[in-house]
Amino acid sequence: MTIDRLVGGIFLLIASFAFWHAYTLVVPFAADPVGPRVFPMIVAAMLGIGGLGIALRPAEVELEFGQWMRVLAVLAACIVYPFLLVPLGFVAATALLILVCGLAFEARPVPALISAVATSVVFFVVLDKLLDLPLPVGPLGF
Amino acid sequence: MEALSLLFSGFEVAFTPLNLAVAFAGVALGTAIGALPGIGPINAVALLLPLCFALKFPPETALILLAGIYYGSGYGGRISSILLNIPGDPGLVMTTLDGHPLAKQGRGSAALAISGIGSFVGGTTAVILMTFLAVPLARFALSFGPADYVALMALAFALLAAMGGYSAAKTLAALSLGLLFAMVGIDGGSGVERFTFNSIELTGGIDFSSLTMGLFAISEVLILVEGISGGTVTRYAAGARLKFGEVLFCLPAMLRSTLIGFLFGILPGTGAAVSSAVAYTAEKRLSDRDGTFGKGDMRGLAAPETADNAAQTASMIPMLALGIPGSGTTAIMLGAFLMYSITPGPLLFTQRPEVAWGLIASMYIGNIMLLILNLPLVGVFARLLLVPPWILYPGILGLSFAGVYAVSNSAFELLVTVFFGVVGYLLRKVGVPTIPILLAFVLARLLEDNLRRALTLSDGDVSILFQSPISIVLWLLAALAVVLPLLLSRFRSRLVESAEHV
Repeated sequence: MTIDRLVGGIFLLIASFAFWHAYTLVVPFAADPVGPRVFPMIVAAMLGIGGLGIALRPAEVELEFGQWMRVLAVLAACIVYPFLLVPLGFVAATALLILVCGLAFEARPVPALISAVATSVVFFVVLDKLLDLPLPVGPLGF
Repeated sequence: MEALSLLFSGFEVAFTPLNLAVAFAGVALGTAIGALPGIGPINAVALLLPLCFALKFPPETALILLAGIYYGSGYGGRISSILLNIPGDPGLVMTTLDGHPLAKQGRGSAALAISGIGSFVGGTTAVILMTFLAVPLARFALSFGPADYVALMALAFALLAAMGGYSAAKTLAALSLGLLFAMVGIDGGSGVERFTFNSIELTGGIDFSSLTMGLFAISEVLILVEGISGGTVTRYAAGARLKFGEVLFCLPAMLRSTLIGFLFGILPGTGAAVSSAVAYTAEKRLSDRDGTFGKGDMRGLAAPETADNAAQTASMIPMLALGIPGSGTTAIMLGAFLMYSITPGPLLFTQRPEVAWGLIASMYIGNIMLLILNLPLVGVFARLLLVPPWILYPGILGLSFAGVYAVSNSAFELLVTVFFGVVGYLLRKVGVPTIPILLAFVLARLLEDNLRRALTLSDGDVSILFQSPISIVLWLLAALAVVLPLLLSRFRSRLVESAEHV
């Protein structure tokens, strides 16, 4: 069994869910003869056909796992980041994110810390000060 | 040759010191903004419009500045597409296909140079076409009915499916996923919530920048940190400069793509994303004899880049000549006209010639400025890849998040971005293409709206989709795009067979 059978199966599952979701939508009044249900149902059918095609004629796909611990570390940092951004402020939260990711990319700790702080300060100045796109400020005012 | 004398008077407007300075500031700023992933020209244009007003710029000066940012961003966006495999704009997705392989082979600066030249050819040729054909072409674009748009989308998707490199089933699945992602949120026609799972944040739909940054930036960093495709980035080699012969080699591709980009760019809404996809696939069909497309073919890079810039320029035509904006950025520029109480439309060219022709003339100058500004810098930009990975990739991650947050002002959007990062990572691991997802996402709204509009006109009768001459031609082309590659491959294998029998 190749991974393609699993991928096709997952697409089929998503397709049937999407079809069911669109089918059970409650439309209070009909603005146009088509309504909001038809298009998602067509697209779900397309996804189903695609999924079926993948599952029935699977290609040989080699699934490799490299340094998956590092992937998880970066992913964890990315998931935590949105929750820290507003309380800590942009500079501190982003420096933390960049530090963790820098370490995952095999940086030595001290240079990683310096680059993390420098990079996030530069981003803050460019986006918030120069481009006037507001970024969250923490308790220290940056 | 009335147009020429009008253009000449336009140059008199564009060559005043203030307008020259403003054009330069616009294209330089546009390049810089375009280079930042996730932050498009629309933010810069929206930001600078009140400034123009506060500085009491005359209307033509304000428009020269805004237009400069708009087409300058096309030059900037290619940097991250080519060097980092992260497209910042829907029109730049196809640029990554051959641009990034070139950068990996150590030819980053050559790739940047050819795309800069392509952008120049596309932009300038489009301005020339615009000078002579603006009003009649805008009329033609207006004759596109809803059914024609549906057929146009079908053609775009058919071309994408025939793009090759991936199995048709996987491309179809990816297209459908993109369409589904675009449906999340409140349906405009009926007010019904679709795929929101009772989440208030999702009712507004998924933001384009969250999807792009997730599918491309985050997933790219995850793939790189895993380290399987180890040493992906070849060191920038100084000897691999762009040769003059290569430019000549790409020139036919550029001219063909300019025409494609221009024609699709005029149609409101479709713009750069469709035109660069069509230009790439058309060029691949036409000239990919050795199967080099997708592995770092110069023509595969020049074609979408040229089409993208031609389309960007062409998308100003309906705005100037009819007062109908074709994209978000041109919509803001339309707002600029209205702030100066100028009504764009056919009369603009006769009543306020200094505005219309001054703007068109400044676009000739701006494109030359961009080429002069960009070509000497390609070596500097390409050195971006010399930055050690542990500084570069975490930095990209931080900048992507910052961009998404700055545009959306919501931490929830960051979680959406991470979700798409994981989706993109998994899809790439199992060999499902991510580019169709993005293109389908961009076009979904236009497809569904026009489908429903067409069927409302016909009261549910599906045959309306195949009635107008334009739509019939487009459907035939779409069918051809799907069938032709199948026939060709069968024909080729038969040729091989008969050769073996002899």
